[in-house]
Amino acid sequence: MSDGEAVIEAEGLTKVYPAAFRLFGDGGREKLAVDNVTFNVRRGEIFGLLGPNGAGKTTTVKMLSTLLIPTSGKATVLGLDVVRDAGKLRSRINLVSGGERGLYFRLTGRQNLEFFSDMYHVPREEKRRRITNLLEIVGLTEAADVRVEEYSRGMKQRLHLARGLVNEPEVLFLDEPTLGLDPEISRETRALIRHLSEEGVTILLTTHYMFEADELCDRLAIISEGRIKALGSPYSMKEAVRNDSIIEVEARELGEAQRRELADLPGVSAVSVEHLEGRQRARIVVANAPGLIPTVAAMLESRRVISIRVDQPTLEDAYIKLVNGR
Amino acid sequence: MMSVRAMKAALKQQAIHFFVDPQWVIPSIIAPFIFTTVTLFLFRHTGGDLMLYAVLGGGVLGMWGNTIHSSSWSIGYDRMNGTLEAIMVTPAPLSSVVFGRCLWNAFLGLLNALAVFLVAKFAFGIDVTVRDPLGFLVALAATLLSLAVLGMVFGAFYVVTRASSALFQMLEYPIYVLSGAMFPLVVLPEWSRPFSYALPATWGAEALKIASLPGYDPLGLGYMGALGLTALTTLVFLLVSLWLFSFLEGRAKVNGTLVRY
Repeated sequence: MSDGEAVIEAEGLTKVYPAAFRLFGDGGREKLAVDNVTFNVRRGEIFGLLGPNGAGKTTTVKMLSTLLIPTSGKATVLGLDVVRDAGKLRSRINLVSGGERGLYFRLTGRQNLEFFSDMYHVPREEKRRRITNLLEIVGLTEAADVRVEEYSRGMKQRLHLARGLVNEPEVLFLDEPTLGLDPEISRETRALIRHLSEEGVTILLTTHYMFEADELCDRLAIISEGRIKALGSPYSMKEAVRNDSIIEVEARELGEAQRRELADLPGVSAVSVEHLEGRQRARIVVANAPGLIPTVAAMLESRRVISIRVDQPTLEDAYIKLVNGR
Repeated sequence: MMSVRAMKAALKQQAIHFFVDPQWVIPSIIAPFIFTTVTLFLFRHTGGDLMLYAVLGGGVLGMWGNTIHSSSWSIGYDRMNGTLEAIMVTPAPLSSVVFGRCLWNAFLGLLNALAVFLVAKFAFGIDVTVRDPLGFLVALAATLLSLAVLGMVFGAFYVVTRASSALFQMLEYPIYVLSGAMFPLVVLPEWSRPFSYALPATWGAEALKIASLPGYDPLGLGYMGALGLTALTTLVFLLVSLWLFSFLEGRAKVNGTLVRY
C-alpha cells in the first residue's frame, strides 16, 4: 500500500436521484443512493468499494468520474473538482464498466480503440503504437480486426479494459470489472489490474466479490444503503471478526425463517445463507462456536442437515457482520 | 467548444456503421428514394417547371427524412450500445461527436439528392437543367449543412430521455409541410408561417428553387437573400443545439438517466 498523497478525495458526497417524470403513471419517489460518503484514495493504491447490489457503489464511481453531479458534498480527483473542473479532469481518468455493453458491436476491436483514442486526442503517431500495445496486453491481437459482436464475453471485457487505457489514465475507475466472467478470465483480469497498479495507475474498484477485494485491494470501504459501514485494509476488516468463529452448516431445507432464528441466538452477530445446487450453506458468526453447535444442531434437526463444522472467519464473514450484523 | 478531431472520428465511425449495418440503408437511401418516386408519379402529368419543383421538393424531403432518422437516432444508438457514458467520460464534447455523425448523414443526403435527379431524368424523362448550376451546388451544400444542424438539435434530446423518438416521429411530417419543400409557402396558412420561417430547411429549399427555376422568387428574396437566411437560421440552430447539449447533459447528470435504454 502506498502512503502517498491522496488523489481521490470525497467529502460528504451525497446523491439523491430525483423522482422520474412520467407522462402517464407514477414516476416513483426520489431515491437516496449515496449518503454522506467520505473517503480518500492514495496515489498508486487499489481501493475497493465493496457492497451488495444497490448499495451506492456505481453511483459513487459515476460522481467521481464526472458522469453524475452530486446532490451535495465535494469530491476532487487529482486535485480537480469533479463538477467544476470536469473538462480538465476527463483527459486524466477513465472508467471501465463490467458487462457486455459499452462497445460498438458492429465495429472491430481495433476500430473501437481508434474511435476512443480520437476522443482523447491521442497524438496520431502515438495512437497506432498504443493500440497495438494495448491489444497485446489484453490478448486480443489476433481478434483485433474481428467485429466485437463476434467476441466472447471475456474478450469484450478485455476490450473494455483496453478502451479504459487508451488515454494512459492516472486514475482508473473499474465498476464490477469481472462481473459475469468465468473464473479463468476473472483471474486474468485481476492479474491485469494488479499489473496496472504496479505501473503506477491509481485504481478505484467496485465489486461485490469478497475474494476479489481481498486479493486486489490495498484498502477498501464497505458500503451499504449508500453509507460507508467500514473502511480499512482487508486485514483490518478481518480483525472485526478476529475474536469470532464460524459455524458452517450445510442442509437441504434452510430458508429465510431459519436464518432469522439463527441470527436471534445468543452470541450470534451475523448469519449468511448461500444457496447452492440442491442445498444451502449457512455461515454463523459467533463468539463461541463449539459451545453453540448443540443448540444449532437441535434447531435445524428437521431441516435435512448434511454437515456442521467450525471454520475460521473470512473477509466475507467480516463483510456480512459489518453490513448485516449487530 | 467543438473538437474537430472528435468530429472527424465520429464521421468516420458513422460511415463504417453505414457500410457494415444494412439497416441504415432503409432510412438513408431506400425510404427517400421511394418518397421521391411517388411524388414524381403524382406530378408526372404537370410538365414544365412544376416537375423540376417536385424533383427539388422530393430531394429536400429525402434529405430531411434521412436527417431525422439517422442524426436524431445518433445518441439513441449510443444508449442502445451502452456507449453514451463511455463517450461522456472522455474530454470530447458530445455535440462534436453528434455533429460529425450528422455531417456523414448530410453527405448521404447528397447522394440521395443525386439519385433523385438521376431517376427524374432517366426514369421520368424530366428536364432537370438548373438555371444556375454553381448557385444550385452552393445552396445544396448549405441546405445539407442546415439539415445536419437541425439533426443535432433533435439529437440533443436523446441525451436526456430515450423517449425522444416519439418527438421525432411527430415532427417528421409537419416539417415536410412547414419547410415548403413540396408546397409553396404562400399556400400555407398565415399562422404556420413563423414556424416555416424559423426553419433553415425552408430557406435552403427556397435558395435551391431560385437557383433552379427561371423566374421563381415568390417571396422576393433573391438568391443571396435566401442563402443568407439559410446561413443565419443555421447559425441560430447551431447555437441552440450547443446550448441544448450543455443544458441537457447537465440534466441527465443530475437525474442519472444516461444509461437508461
